[in-house]
Amino acid sequence: MSLYVHELRLLLRQRLSRFAILLLAILTIAALAAGMAAVARQRASIAAIPAAQAEDIWAVADYVVRTRDSGSAAYYSFHPTWDPPAPLAFAALGMRDVSPTILRVRALGLEAQIYDGDAFNPELALPGRFDFAFVLVFLAPLFVIALFHDLVSSEREAGRARTLMALPRGGQALWRRRTAIRFALLWLSLAFPFAIAAAVEGVGAAAIVAVLALIAAYLLFWIGAAAAVGRLRWGSVANAATLAGAWLLLVLIVPTLANVAIDRAVPVREGAEIALAQREAVNRAWDIPREATMRRFYAAHPEWAGSAPLGTAFNYKWYLAFHQNGDAEVAPAVAVYRAGLMRREAAARALGWALPSVGVQAALTRLARTDLKAQLEYQDRIRAFHAALRRFYYGYLFTDRPFDRSDFDRAPRYERFAQASDG
Amino acid sequence: MSPVALIARDELRLMVRNRVAVIAFALLILLTLVAVASSWSHRQRIADLRARHQQAAADAFDAQPDRHPHRVVHYGSFIFRPLGPLAAFDPGVDAFTGNSMFLEGHRQNTANFGDVRQSSLLVRFGQLSPAFVLQVVAPLLLVFLGFAAVARERERGTLRVLMMQGVSRGQLVAGKLAALGVVAFAAATPALIGLTAIAAQPGAAPLPMLVLGIGYLAYLALWCVVILTVSALVPRSRDALLALIALWAVTTILVPRLAPDIAGQMHTLRNRLQTDVAIARDLRRMGDSHDPDDPHFAAFKAATLKRYGAARVEDLPVNYKGLLALEGERLTAALFDRYAAESFAVQARQNAVVAGASAISPAIALRSLSMAAAGTDLSGHRRFLEQAERYRYALVQRLNRMQAEGVAYADDTATDAGADRRKRVDAANWRAMPDFAFRPAGPGTLARAALPGLAVVLLWLTAAGALLAFATYRLGARR
Amino acid sequence: MQTIPDPPISIQSLTLSYGRAPVLDGLTLQVPAGSITALLGGNGAGKSTTLAALLGFERADGGTIAVCGIDPGSDPDAARRQMAYLPENVALYDHLSAIENADYLLALSGERHDRAAIAGALAAAGLQDQAWDRRLGGFSKGMRQKVAIAVALLRAVPVLLLDEPTSGLDPRATADFNALLLAVRARGTAVLMVTHDLLSAADVADRIAFLERGRVAHEVAADGPDRFDVRALHARFQIGGERRAA
Repeated sequence: MSLYVHELRLLLRQRLSRFAILLLAILTIAALAAGMAAVARQRASIAAIPAAQAEDIWAVADYVVRTRDSGSAAYYSFHPTWDPPAPLAFAALGMRDVSPTILRVRALGLEAQIYDGDAFNPELALPGRFDFAFVLVFLAPLFVIALFHDLVSSEREAGRARTLMALPRGGQALWRRRTAIRFALLWLSLAFPFAIAAAVEGVGAAAIVAVLALIAAYLLFWIGAAAAVGRLRWGSVANAATLAGAWLLLVLIVPTLANVAIDRAVPVREGAEIALAQREAVNRAWDIPREATMRRFYAAHPEWAGSAPLGTAFNYKWYLAFHQNGDAEVAPAVAVYRAGLMRREAAARALGWALPSVGVQAALTRLARTDLKAQLEYQDRIRAFHAALRRFYYGYLFTDRPFDRSDFDRAPRYERFAQASDG
Repeated sequence: MSPVALIARDELRLMVRNRVAVIAFALLILLTLVAVASSWSHRQRIADLRARHQQAAADAFDAQPDRHPHRVVHYGSFIFRPLGPLAAFDPGVDAFTGNSMFLEGHRQNTANFGDVRQSSLLVRFGQLSPAFVLQVVAPLLLVFLGFAAVARERERGTLRVLMMQGVSRGQLVAGKLAALGVVAFAAATPALIGLTAIAAQPGAAPLPMLVLGIGYLAYLALWCVVILTVSALVPRSRDALLALIALWAVTTILVPRLAPDIAGQMHTLRNRLQTDVAIARDLRRMGDSHDPDDPHFAAFKAATLKRYGAARVEDLPVNYKGLLALEGERLTAALFDRYAAESFAVQARQNAVVAGASAISPAIALRSLSMAAAGTDLSGHRRFLEQAERYRYALVQRLNRMQAEGVAYADDTATDAGADRRKRVDAANWRAMPDFAFRPAGPGTLARAALPGLAVVLLWLTAAGALLAFATYRLGARR
Repeated sequence: MQTIPDPPISIQSLTLSYGRAPVLDGLTLQVPAGSITALLGGNGAGKSTTLAALLGFERADGGTIAVCGIDPGSDPDAARRQMAYLPENVALYDHLSAIENADYLLALSGERHDRAAIAGALAAAGLQDQAWDRRLGGFSKGMRQKVAIAVALLRAVPVLLLDEPTSGLDPRATADFNALLLAVRARGTAVLMVTHDLLSAADVADRIAFLERGRVAHEVAADGPDRFDVRALHARFQIGGERRAA
């Protein structure tokens, strides 16, 4: 044990290592604070929904109650959905800065609504977020390089290597001890602040342990790389340059190359094509006999087929029906689009097995539910909620029941759908 | 040969004999070529795709049958932001902003389907473009090649030898700087050739490219100067290397990420839900066309009747519903403009915070210079959004006017079986509607927008030059 | 009846080669307790390799090698517990003080000594007390050696290996070092000193072994007839004479 204390003292007496460990801890804490602030902002904007929504829906109700028309209620009422950040989201913000946290939908065609984004400054999003994942994936390897590139070579260059090797507790065991001390300090400066932040954010113990293990594994990968370069017995300078080059390659260049390759290999039919097709499908209804629209709608939704026939005047039954028909028309394209996105994500994930930088980022964003998959799952929840909205309004519309002020309170609420269906 | 040229030649010969340096340099060139090629074809593909989509959308619009004008207001128009030729050099925020927009009456939709939401997580690691290579990768290569330029001479004692042979400190540093400068220029050449190739494209203007070229060369020169300064100031070459790698990581990786986070924390953008609710609230205050007792619309009705000398709306020579739509659209559009301006003001404040960080990271200044000159920065996107809104407003009001003048009020309010037919206007009208044509910023505007960034980079270069002069002066004086 | 213990350093017919080139070729050498043996030879004669083999850095191809009965090739740690080794340039940690350096090296030897003991050893090694808590950055080679010797004294190891200990030392420092070496010998330590400085070797060694092509070509003892005939030995082996004019 006392040998480790000696090594610790020796290490911390060096300005470079003291500075490096302190800096890593500071960066970790700053990144955690930034992530927690970002997540807090998202939670605050979710918490602000009910007040804004109440104001908005009351104004709609004021108008609708004059006619008690359920179709107008369906047309004018926006219903909020939201995607609360998972407890671990603060550590890896992932796509949450470019994908909406809140989306309001109406019981009209969903495909024209579900891809809407929220307001964000693209220039801020462009360089990527300063979060814990960034510190771990991008910066931590540089600290590993700073502390490990001259682990052996510095002793050799200073002429101490022989002296140390000739001591009974010198030799390989010495390098192992020094590696362990450096590893432990780096790990602690990442893991300790993280664990505290995670506890504050209420992250489950299993997820915390998983991230702590991930930190260790990623550090060990870079330590292994430094050891491999060290075995070549080059000088400290050559080691540092080689490792920094490897970092550049593994963290910056290969992922960007892979991104180009994946986008090429897995072409995704532009979402815009779906939007265009949906619009045509919906608007065509105005130019074809209404009966055709209703036949198609009732065939797919026989539960409403007994509804009273349309008159010659405008009727919301028909309006909502052709919106739903429009969604149904593009459903196959939507499935293909979604599958394409999932394939891209899966390809990147597969690359993660070969490329630790990508692997760690993928694992963290998955644990934090901030990846593309989480976004698609949010869309799935919106779809489920939207289906419930349609059922709700159809229940009035197709039975010709009047829609009263109190009925606004009976509309489905997103709370019931907000729970992530873990699977 | 002058001593400076001799020293430069020696330094270059040393680099050429260093196998690792040659491999690293070759890899950088290869990476640049890949970046140029992939970025070029990526831009080409996107530009083609968007042009095709735009054409399809315009055709679909023109192909509409006879319709009620208000139907067309909601049929709306799909527009796609075209991608300028310089996006092949620096795609900027293109992947992060939606590139297609659905324009319709009394709603302002978001620009959707940005690449960032259609790509795997890899997209957040950065995008491979010539700009990325020159901004991020090239400086690190220069660090590897140049960190020891002076430190090595001192470590090995050859510095004294050189000085005793009558080489001045200034000549020594100038020679090393020249050698590193040659490498920097060679490293930038493929990207610059790519830039020149873009210049041959239709629609590409030379002025912004000139600014780009100057900016990037100044930035690389800045790195050469910084590298030599550190190499001259730091006693050991290993320390010089570590210091330079740290400097590189902080200025090109850390600060560019940290500054936006701080900016976002300082100036919060109102989200869409709050904006929509606020607009709806303001609209209710200004006038609710649904409310028969609304004072604004009551006054509007009275004024309209008076203007036409009519007693009832049914007696008006124009369709009152069309007039209402015109007035309603006018009100909402004014609100949209106001809230959009507010949002852009906040984003401008955020960007100003980031720009302030260029005082510690010249990479930020270069990035903003680069995107501004390429027209792929936020203001390029804003240009698109503003033109889109202007087009939307003009289109919708044209349709509303068509409703006012082309559809009789009696028909418009009728609900009998034949009413639908009578409400429609001729399909030829749709073809007469002007298509959306994005007017990109002119070369002068782009170049002007890039000037602040260029000024910062040049300021950095001057400051670093002064520091190098100081380091040169101190060189050899110690010990 | 008492068995006579083997000498602490005992090398028999040692052969060792790097690739095909034999470096040690039947080397036989014994260093008894309480004696100093100097190992001389030209470049490539095998001096450094002999030390490396004793320290367990190189494994022999044939023959036997033992440090206090332990084969350093098969159990280097056990062998190293019996040895102290001073390389040509004793490099220690510049950012630690003399006492801290000693403390650290002792820890790496598996020993703990309190400050008083370390200070005592430093004093015994001839390091003045004002230097004890100074960082090693400004120490001369002689001062560094004293720190290393102090560690060896505290460890009380039976074997001390020295590699060119007096190269680069001024005459006064050489004399100090030699005195120190004699004190170590007096404690019963077996000292093996590799050098190509014949004059320095002749000053302190009990025996001088001349190495040629990986084996001992000639051995002289202090009490033997060749003892002081440095000139003759020099002429014969073409070595030595590094020492500056005194």
